[in-house]
Parts: sequence; structure tokens; C-alpha cells
Amino acid sequence: MDELDLRIRNHLYAQFVAKGKAPSAVDTAAALGLAGDEASAAYRRLHDAHTLVLHPGTNEVRMLNPFSAVETPHRVEAGGRSWFANCAWDALGIPAALHTDGSVRSECPDCGEPVELEVRGGELVRGRELLVHFVVPARRWWDDIAFT
Amino acid sequence: MVFLRSEEHLERWLDRSGWERGASMAATLLNELARRWWWTRLEPDWRPRTTAESQAILDKVGLRGEFWRLS
Repeated sequence: MDELDLRIRNHLYAQFVAKGKAPSAVDTAAALGLAGDEASAAYRRLHDAHTLVLHPGTNEVRMLNPFSAVETPHRVEAGGRSWFANCAWDALGIPAALHTDGSVRSECPDCGEPVELEVRGGELVRGRELLVHFVVPARRWWDDIAFT
Repeated sequence: MVFLRSEEHLERWLDRSGWERGASMAATLLNELARRWWWTRLEPDWRPRTTAESQAILDKVGLRGEFWRLS
């Protein structure tokens, strides 16, 4: 991964943490003083490197793991802000990535009842009784990351 | 990857969805994994991990065996 891609990647994360959404390639190019096609090409390279996930056939960010750019059943609050996470793992990954306490609100797919978790000082202090299930084996996670 | 309220809920959900059982773990273990996996993600000097480095994180929290092999 070259320095331009890392610079764009860091810009995307900073923007997503601050604003809850990922900037378009056009906006990123303007913010970083790049040509639009430079940013677009970088978005595609970052997608191919599994550093982010684009909506199919577009340059729009769908996942900036652990953050989700689309609404999901996994809502995370930390530091007075909130984001959607891609899955259970990513939901707990947001407080970890932010190095802060946080809470997760999700739902049990069996009964539809809400489940709530809270991380404080790195420890799970609420929701400790919950289970997590992985359908897809590790080597196939990126075959269809949206399903995983 | 989803949160479920108990083993009973997991069994019922798998029966209904038709998916085969994959791997399940306590949310406490997932939290430990999440901390190790995502801790450096927002750091400006972040670099992509190698597969071996990612595998080492899974190993470190006890996720070993065929299901958890990344390659």
C-alpha cells in the first residue's frame, strides 16, 4: 500500500469518525488537493486490498471496517456519538478502535428481542451472557464480506 | 456475525435459517478478540497486517483449528 492510499485511507477514517459518513471520491480529492480520478483509483485499490468495501459497481463506501456506511442492526454509541457496525465483531470493534468506552444495541436474530452490551475500561460489563455465532469459516470471510 | 441470547436461541435460529453451525463463542471472548483486532485501526501509522499477523491474533485468544485458518 503506497503513501497516497494510506493518506486517503486515514482521511476516510477521520471523516467517518467525525461525521458518521464516508466522503465521496470527489470530496476526498478536493480535500486532499488531488485529481478526482486519483482518488477514485485509490478507493478501488483500497477495496481490492480489503481495506474498505465499496458498493458493487460504484466508488461509494459501504464498509470502513469496523464502521458501516449503511444502516445495520448493530448500533454503537461511544463518546457521545453513534455509528452503525457491520456485524457483532465490528460492533465491539468500534469502542476498541476508538480506545473508549461504548455501548452496543443489536437484536437477537432468533427472537428479535433487543440485546445490549457495554464496554467499560476494555471489559464487557453488560451482555456478558450473550453468544456470538460465525457462519462463515475464516478463509472464506472475504468471499462475500457483506454476508460474512 | 450476530449476537444471540443463549444456546437455545442459537439452535432455534440455525434450525429455522437452514444454515449449518459454524462457530460460536461467548461475547466476552469476542470483546477480547475485537480489542486485539481493531485496536490500531485508527492510528495514522497503521499498516495492513499480514495474514500471519492476523492468524496470530486469532491464535492468541484461543481460536484455533480449521474453522479459524485464514489461508
